[in-house]
Amino acid sequence: MNLRSSETARSEFSKQPVPLAKDKKGEKKKRKRPRKNRLWSLVTNVPELSILIMLIVGGYILMGVFSKVESTEVLSASSIWLIIVGSFLISTAIATLAVIGGIGGGVIFTPIMLGFTSLDSLVIRATGLVVAMFSGLVSTGPFMKTKLADIKLTFYCGVPITVGALVGSVSAIYLHEGLGDFGDGLVRLSLGILMLVVAWFLFTGGGKTEYPEPERIDRLSVLLGLNGFYWEESLGKVVHYQLTRALIGGIVFIALGFIGGFFGLGGGAFLTATLNLIMMAPVKIAAACSGVLLAISNATAIWTYITYGAMIAIFAAPWMLGQVVGGILGAHLLIRIRAGFVRKILIIILLVSSIKLIIRGVEEAFGINIPIL
Amino acid sequence: MKEDRPKPPLAGLIYGEIVYWGVLTGSLIVIVGSVLAFLGDNFVPVSYWMTSIWKGETVLQTWEGATGALPNGHWYLSHLTTGDGLSAFGISFGVFSVAPALFLSAAALFREKEWLYGSLAMVGGIVVMIGVLGLALMPK
Repeated sequence: MNLRSSETARSEFSKQPVPLAKDKKGEKKKRKRPRKNRLWSLVTNVPELSILIMLIVGGYILMGVFSKVESTEVLSASSIWLIIVGSFLISTAIATLAVIGGIGGGVIFTPIMLGFTSLDSLVIRATGLVVAMFSGLVSTGPFMKTKLADIKLTFYCGVPITVGALVGSVSAIYLHEGLGDFGDGLVRLSLGILMLVVAWFLFTGGGKTEYPEPERIDRLSVLLGLNGFYWEESLGKVVHYQLTRALIGGIVFIALGFIGGFFGLGGGAFLTATLNLIMMAPVKIAAACSGVLLAISNATAIWTYITYGAMIAIFAAPWMLGQVVGGILGAHLLIRIRAGFVRKILIIILLVSSIKLIIRGVEEAFGINIPIL
Repeated sequence: MKEDRPKPPLAGLIYGEIVYWGVLTGSLIVIVGSVLAFLGDNFVPVSYWMTSIWKGETVLQTWEGATGALPNGHWYLSHLTTGDGLSAFGISFGVFSVAPALFLSAAALFREKEWLYGSLAMVGGIVVMIGVLGLALMPK
């Protein structure tokens, strides 16, 4: 996933002018603005975020002080509270990193939890979908308002990705029921390999171009009227675009939906690349649409896990709240953090978790003991 | 000549606003549910949920230990006065906001005579509803 794409797309999200790749003057001007003013404008522009944060903090204090939760032989009452609060804080950090890095939070959460914990894989994947989805869901409104999320492109790709997501989530339950530990091992192994690909995408930047110009436009794209225009902040003018390869894009989106629903990670890392490199959407449009599509596909896949009973609400709740707060915060405030730095962190996280996943996958699926990590 | 910023389509605004406020409402319900779970009644005790997950028990083992069987459906709808039930409802409410958003967005597209994209939004909404209603074939 191209970090610049996410950065620029989210800059439209914020109502303030934000540094862009080709707007050096604007960047200098922006960085001189006092942090206090930026914080205050966030409080005034997005009052619902302040209210939400106050309610969450108040709620967690109440839960800590007046807790009636009983201790067990494994966990004390205070450690349960700490797990809940810790999950919320980690989720907020993951959402922030994911927004800046332009990947779904599930790509960070699911591999780490599957690789380094002994929690049941279905519980992790169900919670992973919550993590992958909610920062995308809250960013949908602002993306639609700024017209960065192209409604035609979103609904055209929305159908194949939701179908793929639904099939993927049902397949995950079947595999879990039918193959047990061997199936879990295969999931870890294949997810580990997939994460290596995501890390490679982050490392290379995906080879995206800001304003791709298709050499040939296929008949289906013309028939569907897959074209549009948006306000380009860095150029100060309207940019028109024409999409292409509608059929190939649709097929790829079925596969991406399946991956997201099956692994419980959203698959957002590949969405922008598909929209930008295959369908030739401008990188800002691709990044915004990928967030919206990620939310639609995960909102389909998660019902399979919910109705099966794999989403344990008490465990998933702080992860959801962290995604909502981190998603809004990351998009409005932290756009100025150097995306390159975040990319390095993400690559390291993905590499370490992919190695661990591959090792655990081989151990579980084939019964081979690998004495590393 | 100075260009004006393009206005977003009504269907996009409808979709975005419903999802945004739906998620925030779901978050509020989750906060209330979480507090209630620690301070009041629960369908299954919080300590049981967390211990079972922490021990790495499977979904089947967790539910069999709690209620004797997997829920196979929207169990929380009949337990909305409990902390864990309300938390599950809040998350589901936030996720569910996508479905009405798609249908109402489709209605706006139909009104603008965008038949193709209105239909695609309807199909997307129907696929989401198949998931919501648990109509996908699941193992028994």
